[in-house]
Formats: sequence, structure tokens, C-alpha cells
Amino acid sequence: MPDCSVNYESEIEDGQNKRAIKCKFCSSVILTPSSACFQNFEFDLPLITQTKNNDANPETEHTSLFWVVKDMFTFYNVGFSNAVGNTKFLTCADCEAGPIGYHDIPTKISYVALTRVSHGST
Amino acid sequence: MAKKTYDLLFKLLLIGDSGVGKTCILFRFSDDAFTTTFISTIGIDFKIKTIELRGKKIKLQIWDTAGQERFHTITTSYYRGAMGIMLVYDINNEKSFENIVKWLRNIDEHANEDVEKMILGNKCDMDDKRTVSKERGETIAREHSIRFMETSAKANINIERAFRELAEAILDKTAGREPGGDGNMDRVLVDKKPMTNTTKSCCNN
Repeated sequence: MPDCSVNYESEIEDGQNKRAIKCKFCSSVILTPSSACFQNFEFDLPLITQTKNNDANPETEHTSLFWVVKDMFTFYNVGFSNAVGNTKFLTCADCEAGPIGYHDIPTKISYVALTRVSHGST
Repeated sequence: MAKKTYDLLFKLLLIGDSGVGKTCILFRFSDDAFTTTFISTIGIDFKIKTIELRGKKIKLQIWDTAGQERFHTITTSYYRGAMGIMLVYDINNEKSFENIVKWLRNIDEHANEDVEKMILGNKCDMDDKRTVSKERGETIAREHSIRFMETSAKANINIERAFRELAEAILDKTAGREPGGDGNMDRVLVDKKPMTNTTKSCCNN
């Protein structure tokens, strides 16, 4: 699978995801083709794996490439975490790997990080 | 932006004693001695899953009780809007089976009266340790006129079938909630069928 942080432009067609968006670990389909819009901005997303006893201060990484989903029911399969402030984190619905992105509660907009998912055919 | 990609939306709840099956799902990301996953620390609120039934795309929004069940504090707010409930016990755990009756009472008290229910005897692939026979599961389901299925979370196949059956039962008796939100959407409204009150047959595994 291509690392989309290197070659993400080929995944965009008319501003949307050309191919299906899937879980990197179990291939569960998260979004079907042409159901999310591409956007580039900075967000610090917590790492999937954390060192124990560090709950109050989770390690994060800069993430800047996102698929934007305005209606949560656009997702084919996805999990929403409990809220942390104004944010819910997104996970794979099947293996619960995540965060694969986040959901902003006030605006109800969800953002899936390109680097945390894979792209392929359904 | 994308148009609505589904026809119906069903809200479902998973209810049962703690440890009756959520721990056995294949692929689940797990913690080890030194690390923990961020998600397991904060917990999952709900999931959205898409299934296709009779040519319709149906979104299932599934809530897990996430520990509240330990205190049997599940009340009206949790049940609000629920169209289907999966009642889960562990076939290796007598107590979790006995508590199904308590859960049924709780549902009667707090949930919408026409909520569709289904009992799942989950076995986590440990049939040799079984303490609750399939017949007992079938009997209690028959007594309450609800569906019953035994599932193996290990293969994760019957879990999916169970969800499809529950969704189908909801589809049978209601047009479902129309997709919320704005504007023109493709949607199919299903004719309402009169609700039949026969004992639903249960299934094999």
C-alpha cells in the first residue's frame, strides 16, 4: 500500500477521495469512494499506542492531511470515542484501532487523517 | 458534498452483564504490559455500521453500555430512541444468563414498548466450558416472544448475522427513522406492516 503522506495527491479526484478509505489493520471500509472532501490543516492527533500511566498527557503527532466528513452517517463503518473536551476520536468500527481522526462536537464535522488509513478498492 | 448515502437509520443498543462478549472480538486492538491504546483508555461511545438489506442501505448506530451495566443503572436516557436491543449473555456464565430476566424487566420499564429485542448467547468459542444449554436460551426467548441466537464472537460471523436479523425485524415493523438533516436525499420509505405478535423462530448457529 502506498504511503499516502508521500503520494496523497493521486488519492484526490475533484477534491474528494477517489478510492475507498479503509482501516490499515483490518481493511474494514470506513468511507466509500467520493464521500469525503480533502483538506489540509494542522492538528495534533494522539498516537494509537501510548506509554502506560500517561493518560493525562497523551503523546501526539502533527497531522495535516484530512478527509472531511460533514454528516457522521456518511461513514460506512466507524467508531466514535467518548468525548474529550470538544472532541471525539474516530476509530475503526471492527478492530477499534485509532484514533484514525477526530470529530469536532460543536461543528459536527469529522476529520479522517490520511496517514492513519489506507486507500483501495471496496 | 456527498449526497445521503443511505436509506434508513436504526439505533441499536447492546446490553448485558460485563464481560459477556465484548472482550472476545477478533482483531481487537489490545493493550500489553507496557503500552495502552489511546482509544481503550477513553472508551468508545458508539459505532456506525452499514449493512444492506433488501436492496436498502441501512446505517446502524450501535451503543454499548460501556461499563454502566455493572451498576444496573441503565435508565431511560440510555434507551431513548433505541429501535433495537441486543441482550447478551455468556453461555459459560450462569449468572449472566440469569440476569437476562432482570435486563428484560429493565427494558420494559425504560425502553420504548415496541423496541425490537434479541437474546444472544455468546460463547467466545469455549463450548467445552458451557454451563447454559442452548435449550435454556431458546426457552427464555420463547417465553418472552423474542428472537434468540447463539453466537461465536471468535469467528465474528454470527454477530453480524444477529445484527442483520435484528435490523430486518425493525425493517419489518417500521419505516425507520428517516435520514435526518437537510434537503434532497435519496431515500426509500418502506411500507409499514402490521406488527405480528407471533413468537419469532430462533435460529441455528
